[in-house]
Amino acid sequence: MPPAASAPDAAAADGDPEAAPPVPTYRSLAAPVCNPVDKFALLPAFLKVRGLVKEHIDSFNYFITKGIKNIIQANNRIEARSDPSIYLRYKDIHIGVPSLQVDFRVENITPHFCRLTDRTYSAPVYVDIEYTVGKAHTLYRKSNFIIATMPIMLRSYACVLNGKDEAELARYGECPLDPGGYFVVKGTEKVVLIQEQLSKNRIIIDTDNKGRVIASVTSSTHEVKSKTVIVMDKEKIYLQLNRFTKPIPIIVVMKAMGIETDQEVVQMVGRDPRYGDLLYLSLQECATERIYTQQQALRYMDDKALPGAGNIKDGQAKVLLRDVFVAHVPVKNGNFRPKCIYTAVMLRRMLDAILNSDTFDDKDYVGNKRLELSGQLVSLLFEDLFKTMNEFVMLRMNKNSDMARSSPLDFSQLIQQDTTITSGLERAISTGNWDIKRFKMHRKGASQVLSRLSYMASLGYMTRITPQFEKTRKTSGPRALQPSQWGMLCPCDTPEGEACGLTKNLALMTHVTTDQEEGPLMNLCYSLGVEDLSLLSGEEIHAPGSFLVMFNGLILGKHRQPQRFANSMRTFRQSGKIGEFVSIFVNEKQHCIHIASDGGRVCRPLIIADKGRSRVKEHHMKELRDGIRSFDDFLRDGLIEYLDVNEENNALIALYEHVDQDDVERSSITHIEIEPMTILGVVAGLIPYPHHNQSPRNTYQCAMGKQAMGNIAYNQLFRADSLLYLLVYAQRPLLTTKTIELVGYDKLGAGQNATVAVMSYSGYDIEDAIVMNKSSLDRGFGRCIAMKKYTVITEKSDRIAKPQRDKDGDLIKQNMRALDEDGFIAPGQIIRNHDIYVNKQTPKVATTAPGTVLTSRDYRDSPAVYKGVDGETTVVDRVMLCSDTNDKLTIKCIIRHTRRPEVGDKFSSRHGQKGVCGTIVQQEDFPFSERGICPDLIMNPHGFPSRMTIGKMIELLGGKAGVSCGRFHYGSIFGEPSGNADKVEDISHTLVKHGFSYNGKDFLYSGILGHPLQAYVFMGPIYYQKLKHMVLDKMHARASGPRVLLTRQPTEGRSHDGGLRLGEMERDCLIAYGASMLIFERLLLSSDPYQVQVCTKCGLLGYYNHKLKVSFCSMCKNGENMAKMRMPYACKLLFQELQAMNVVPRLKLTEG
Amino acid sequence: MERPATGVTYQRFPRVKIRELKDDYAKFELRDTCASMANALRRVMIAEVPTVAIDLVEIESNSSVLNDEFIAHRLGLIPLTSSAAMGMRFSRDCDACDGDGSCEHCSVEFHLAARATDSGQTLEVTSTKDLRSTDPKVCPVDQAREYQQALGNIDPYDGDPQGDHRGILIVKLRRGQELRLRAIARKGIGKDHAKWSPAATVTFMYEPDIRINEELMETLTLEEKTSWVESSPTKVFDIDPNTQQVVVSDPEAYTYDDEVIKKAEAMGKPGLIEINAKEDSFVFTVETTGALTAYELIMNAITVLRQKLDAVRLQDDDADLGELGAHL
Repeated sequence: MPPAASAPDAAAADGDPEAAPPVPTYRSLAAPVCNPVDKFALLPAFLKVRGLVKEHIDSFNYFITKGIKNIIQANNRIEARSDPSIYLRYKDIHIGVPSLQVDFRVENITPHFCRLTDRTYSAPVYVDIEYTVGKAHTLYRKSNFIIATMPIMLRSYACVLNGKDEAELARYGECPLDPGGYFVVKGTEKVVLIQEQLSKNRIIIDTDNKGRVIASVTSSTHEVKSKTVIVMDKEKIYLQLNRFTKPIPIIVVMKAMGIETDQEVVQMVGRDPRYGDLLYLSLQECATERIYTQQQALRYMDDKALPGAGNIKDGQAKVLLRDVFVAHVPVKNGNFRPKCIYTAVMLRRMLDAILNSDTFDDKDYVGNKRLELSGQLVSLLFEDLFKTMNEFVMLRMNKNSDMARSSPLDFSQLIQQDTTITSGLERAISTGNWDIKRFKMHRKGASQVLSRLSYMASLGYMTRITPQFEKTRKTSGPRALQPSQWGMLCPCDTPEGEACGLTKNLALMTHVTTDQEEGPLMNLCYSLGVEDLSLLSGEEIHAPGSFLVMFNGLILGKHRQPQRFANSMRTFRQSGKIGEFVSIFVNEKQHCIHIASDGGRVCRPLIIADKGRSRVKEHHMKELRDGIRSFDDFLRDGLIEYLDVNEENNALIALYEHVDQDDVERSSITHIEIEPMTILGVVAGLIPYPHHNQSPRNTYQCAMGKQAMGNIAYNQLFRADSLLYLLVYAQRPLLTTKTIELVGYDKLGAGQNATVAVMSYSGYDIEDAIVMNKSSLDRGFGRCIAMKKYTVITEKSDRIAKPQRDKDGDLIKQNMRALDEDGFIAPGQIIRNHDIYVNKQTPKVATTAPGTVLTSRDYRDSPAVYKGVDGETTVVDRVMLCSDTNDKLTIKCIIRHTRRPEVGDKFSSRHGQKGVCGTIVQQEDFPFSERGICPDLIMNPHGFPSRMTIGKMIELLGGKAGVSCGRFHYGSIFGEPSGNADKVEDISHTLVKHGFSYNGKDFLYSGILGHPLQAYVFMGPIYYQKLKHMVLDKMHARASGPRVLLTRQPTEGRSHDGGLRLGEMERDCLIAYGASMLIFERLLLSSDPYQVQVCTKCGLLGYYNHKLKVSFCSMCKNGENMAKMRMPYACKLLFQELQAMNVVPRLKLTEG
Repeated sequence: MERPATGVTYQRFPRVKIRELKDDYAKFELRDTCASMANALRRVMIAEVPTVAIDLVEIESNSSVLNDEFIAHRLGLIPLTSSAAMGMRFSRDCDACDGDGSCEHCSVEFHLAARATDSGQTLEVTSTKDLRSTDPKVCPVDQAREYQQALGNIDPYDGDPQGDHRGILIVKLRRGQELRLRAIARKGIGKDHAKWSPAATVTFMYEPDIRINEELMETLTLEEKTSWVESSPTKVFDIDPNTQQVVVSDPEAYTYDDEVIKKAEAMGKPGLIEINAKEDSFVFTVETTGALTAYELIMNAITVLRQKLDAVRLQDDDADLGELGAHL
């Protein structure tokens, strides 16, 4: 943008108090007017086009539009072994509309239908084929031939929801706020989590566990995957490759690849004498081995190679060098030169690292990471299954062709019968086990059930990134916050405990790239002056001033004017000539330009600034507000571009255009952030004033926000989740953030605005407990609905019977009172513990002769009995009948329970401050102000000093100002300068204006005695979340109850009505105390007492013959020396088990 | 307070001065008594003055989006005119019935039947329109007001007679949805459930005793006075435009926030003002839900309080406390 264009704006700069110093200098006059609030409009525009989980959908879209075609193209022909002219060729592939085949009829399906009927939301995969049949080789062509059905990601191109507006979505039974990006497999929603990996095909310089410097490359192409390691051991450099038995001196490898002179090796690495010094010992070692020629080198390597196919070692080295050693560098026509140069570059970088330890690569650096998304994972799976299917079909074809057959051979029939792909895809997504032998991939838990506990929980799932390496290691490096995460990954949202810092979440504006075509980009590079390496000598490669150009990890060539090259590439990108996600990164340290177009890089949009002046002007923003301009137009016009983590290193990014930084020259600023609040992710974005909180508190809230009850989706009442917690009166927070509005948390809130008094009350508020106002609870505060699904699957032979009645019409069994006349429970009925909800009957005999009619007498009752909490009123919400995939009748009963908060229920504010309800107090006992305000809950002030959650205090102030002036206040992170967060000063003004004290404290009277409280009390509304942990689900006690069959000890766990264990430590206490009788009682009498007969002579256990009323020792064959004693049954069992193992435990009794 | 000598009676004679009395709002002074008395009155008003509220709901048909318990809870919270509540029986004490609503002494039956017929419009089921009482004495408060208005008794205190009087929204029905139910309202007290509490706001404050040190005040300039006056978040003080003297315009607006005192100290004039709470006089603010008028609420509260005191006195006599037993 020419400077003249902003001249009219310049005058107005004086109006900006922050940008204008007292004396107008050139800089202040030239400062363009950019009202900071306006820039914000870009964020909703961005999310509108991109959605919250676009990375998932994008990657799946890439797979179904491009990836799948490439796979077919690469394996497009199968032929019979006996007669190669009998073949089948895949010409094209595409995905149809999600549908279902019912009785030879195709029905289109919707995701919600699949959720309710436990089906897979999948679409047929059509191929266009061409094949020959029979001896005559008649050529047939078929289009729209179904080879499989594939699970479809919601809201992808193949999904019926794609591009639908809110009304249409509602008609499909779908929530418009649901982001999509997951699959519905067998009725459950499955997310394929984003996987984090080290980037492929890149040189990583690191030290191994012995402290040696290594350069490693994980090569990955469609054909092979290999890992090449070059290691410096005792100042000599070796190649480590798992196909060689021993490390090979690197010079030998170079020689084997045709660089026979030492001089050329050194030249290729670089002429700096220090390199020569470091290479000296390696060169010498090669010479002592008397290896001078390529032949000698190859022979040397052949000896060290693991034998290949046919146990042949000869020539193996060359094959390995070609196919395994840095496998991603292609060897065309036996030309090893690119590989030599690549090795030399690896060596050079390694030596650099030895000379200067700054140049080590950081494995935790986000730029060295790639994110693998569902599209890529499904693509791998599909490729494997497709190949498996083809092999299988060929196998069967070959088998058949050997036999004499009446019908002609036909590939298409075989394919039609095959269900490898359909079942393989469904199985992998539903179990999460990605076992692909072909690619040596064995991953567990790649897909997980989408948690629908709260809206935030499901959004959080969609942005979650799981690590590849094991979580048990106590390393701190990968867990630490990386500076390069800025703006890409959320700094707050990570779980506590073992996965802390390893599991991450995407930030709000992050985009994950998909693969882009390489060919045109390479050509463009060459035409922009990249010199091909094949034309250069080793000496010239590292000529000073010229930079190597690396393209997706390959060395493309070198360029003499790197900066100019980079600039022109970037201009191409900004003008939309090349993909917007191509990254051009100039690495000054390595003298390299890295161009990347591969998938899985994280990047984010930034406003381009020319010498510190934003390209986005007021008129652009006006066009955006008027709806003329969309976010994509900004991209297309080169106002905004995507930078990935590497390219960010070439940029200087200002937070705001109008704020002068003292230490940064304005003209050096290249980009401007769209909004500083996008540094956080979705889940952390709902914390108000997070930048005023102690950092771990925000992390805790991120974990807790996912457990909060609230509204889940607009279609929540039509869903059939196995467990659903809803809040009766969910509210939107009084103190919101911009993120809340963007993600729709204001529409699907998970909490209520409670008036909180920060004071001590009653002593039932210690240790973070909160005191609640009974009247508030009466009026609906914290009231929630728990809906639980009970499923009954009937067999074909089962029947549902009417409730049995006697002749007066009274029920025979009282537990059938809730049943309707059809034998199912009636919706709206109150159902109590032990009530029957499906009156099912099963035939007494499994198989009957065909044609026999079963009468009632042939059936026995097998009812489904409700197991609930005694004394609670639960109500039947819905009964749903459907037939499952095996055509069995499935009955789903949804039972609803409305609960009001009770002592022990868990609540939390949005600042990681959780607490249980300590006591519930009558309203008249609660403190009140002279305005008549009475808090809903009381929180102990001790919660503040150690937690340092200043944000919560500001939330209270802002909330109070909000209710008094009738405007929602904002608390977005770092929002004060841009007006996205209200300042405390302004809030205080508002408070004073409405007759409150500026500091938010009120003068309260005791509700019990009526006297004024001694101190002013900090009181105001805070958004409180009710968490899913409720005492009702947890409380448990038992007197006597079920026992385990084997040991006769009480069962374990609440679900089995188990006993409460008196454990080792408790036992130790009792021993120390000397309470022997108590131990005796607990460990024997209350557990598993048993009377045994012991033979005092042989010390073994005997038995008691009840008929003869004598005890008998089966060892001594008499009953003379028998004694009775009591011992735990488990102990008796142990003795018997020992005996079974030929160990004789003998009891020596002191008194018989 | 002076401590009376032994043998002297502690009896005091509280005075009440009504400042303002509207249908659902009252402001009065209570003088010559102590905080315990004032607080007892407040507590009784909130928790122990009986009203009538829907307590039992029998749902015949509900195809609305809200579930049965949800609607029942909402119905319970609708204030019903309860002027007759003092004379009614608690259904647990009622020997004429077993609390099923068939008894006129303890319960009132309500009916609600609404169905959204084939119009595109959402039907709002409200307390005014749809909730039908079988007893004209007990009905939703907004119905009662409508009735009064129809009779021409326009509430003189109603600030906005043309305002939104659609009643309390119970549920919204979409086309084809239906809600039919029978509800029984019973007498109860706020202690058992907040729905029976007739009080929306009951609060009192100590009457402040504000003394300006006029001499010291005169040492201030007009600007200083203005800034001092403005330091109070509530409008307690004013400057007389004629004499430019600081006057106490509304002592009860003072919220005991000490802001003016701190300000005076900050200005270097400690003792500029002295504010004390008069410990024996209180200003009450009472707002009702409409179930009772403010007057009824106060009077009933006093009655209940007296009954309770009687009960205490009669405790030795082992007398039948009647329904008061519930309160003890």
